[in-house]
Amino acid sequence: MVDINEHMTKAQDMGLSNGQVPVEYYTSPEYFQREQEMIFRRAWLMVGRVEEVANPGDFVLRDMPTLEASVIISHGKDGQIRAFHNACSHRGVALVCKERGNALTFRCPYHAWVYRADGSLSAIPSEKDFPQVDKEENGLAPIHLDTWNGFIFLNFADEPEVTLREFLAGLDVMLDGAPFDQFPFYAEVTDEIDCNWKNLVNAFNEGYHVAILHNKTLRPAVVPKENPHLNYLDIKHFGPHSAGTVQRNFDYAPDAPTLTWVYQQMLPTSAPDKEAIKEGRAGFYEHPGINRLKIENFGTETITIFPNISIQPLANGYLFYQFWPLSHNRMRTEVRIYGRHAPKNLREEFAMANTLAATRDVVVEDMAMSRLQQIGLQSGGKKFQNFGENEPLLRLFTRDYEAYLAGGGLQPDTPQAEAAE
Amino acid sequence: MTDVSLPEKFAFLEPFVDAWGGLHTQDDRYRKRQELDQSELESFHAALAPRLEEVFAYLDGFDPAALPESEALLLRVVLGLTEASQAVEIFGQPRVPYAPFPHSVKMEWVGYDPH
Repeated sequence: MVDINEHMTKAQDMGLSNGQVPVEYYTSPEYFQREQEMIFRRAWLMVGRVEEVANPGDFVLRDMPTLEASVIISHGKDGQIRAFHNACSHRGVALVCKERGNALTFRCPYHAWVYRADGSLSAIPSEKDFPQVDKEENGLAPIHLDTWNGFIFLNFADEPEVTLREFLAGLDVMLDGAPFDQFPFYAEVTDEIDCNWKNLVNAFNEGYHVAILHNKTLRPAVVPKENPHLNYLDIKHFGPHSAGTVQRNFDYAPDAPTLTWVYQQMLPTSAPDKEAIKEGRAGFYEHPGINRLKIENFGTETITIFPNISIQPLANGYLFYQFWPLSHNRMRTEVRIYGRHAPKNLREEFAMANTLAATRDVVVEDMAMSRLQQIGLQSGGKKFQNFGENEPLLRLFTRDYEAYLAGGGLQPDTPQAEAAE
Repeated sequence: MTDVSLPEKFAFLEPFVDAWGGLHTQDDRYRKRQELDQSELESFHAALAPRLEEVFAYLDGFDPAALPESEALLLRVVLGLTEASQAVEIFGQPRVPYAPFPHSVKMEWVGYDPH
């Protein structure tokens, strides 16, 4: 039996003494501008899964609000997945308007310039009127794209400072082969809210609030008696990225009638399938990089990928959260609930809709509190937030946030750049 | 409302058709739940939640992609419980505490058309 008290990772265990963090990082428009340039234009940003563009010709359109970018991700006939700015070479029209589809060419609706799925320009009507346009050099503008374990990442730098693998700094090695591909189906919740994006990043980086804020939603299923403040266990950190183990109450069984019926149809994403665990077919549970302590009441490994991703592998799928700053005090949260398959019948549709509503409500609790937090921070009476010993990942994020703003952060082998300001 | 009515054996849900029968998306249902009084949510929950198995045993006999109008109406009413149950079984109030009101979110299923 593991003594979990020995594995509650505290800030001092990670050498993080930055317990007071300037409120200005969360309230200043200047900091938002620096985040756009120094973080979001330099880091590799996760934008989806390869399953979304599984076949040649498949494409998805992605809106990257922080960078005001509209991006086409396209699976070419040659099998390669590429990303392009959604802008015609003629006069800039965002030519793809569908969120997803299958097409071997993209045709601009304004003057019918036509591009292939690999981005190359194939046709210009009345081409003789554009003698200055060399078709070879006027394809859609590419964006650096790479994939890891089925996740698609983009980099908006002219030349990325590091490769995707270097960026992931070892988190990738620990999670190589984790079976995200077993859960290709998803439903998505998107909301925009008046707060700084880092309020949400921080909420997902500590368990301290779970028993209080999520008292009626998560607490009964998640917070165990032996860890009432839900300290994350066995925190692993890789540059700015991290993973921590979170427990769950295995004896939790709902008794309310709707939830009980839902459990009988299709287990919610987070509810452990005890039979499957016993038989060794419980997806993420079998992976060596997940639940390294082998605790019996394992709930999730909460994985943070800098700057704006949180992933929680669960018993029957995984949750994926992404936080996009829109300004210093407005942000967009995208939540995806990934599962093994789409509903096979109306019972499963009801169950999944119920799980979607319940999951959304938990995130709404976090977003509601982050909005109240923003009101308090902007009021101006406080110059610092206090990050506890039991909030080490907030301190880790801040350390690397400062390093990025100062021009560093990406080269794990060079000393950390000096903190901003 | 149209003149479509519930299948006869589910006439007990008639009092809830006005609130839930015309809603076609999860966000519409989420909004409705926020607008109703807790007592209305509780009477809906009390009438339906213990009989979910009966409803779906009946709906099992139909092609989900081609539900007749009465059965489609029944399903829309029943899907209202996915929201009402959060208010009744989890929060004890219609709204998520501290959330703005009215609150709306975009919800999308990729690769499946929910009812």
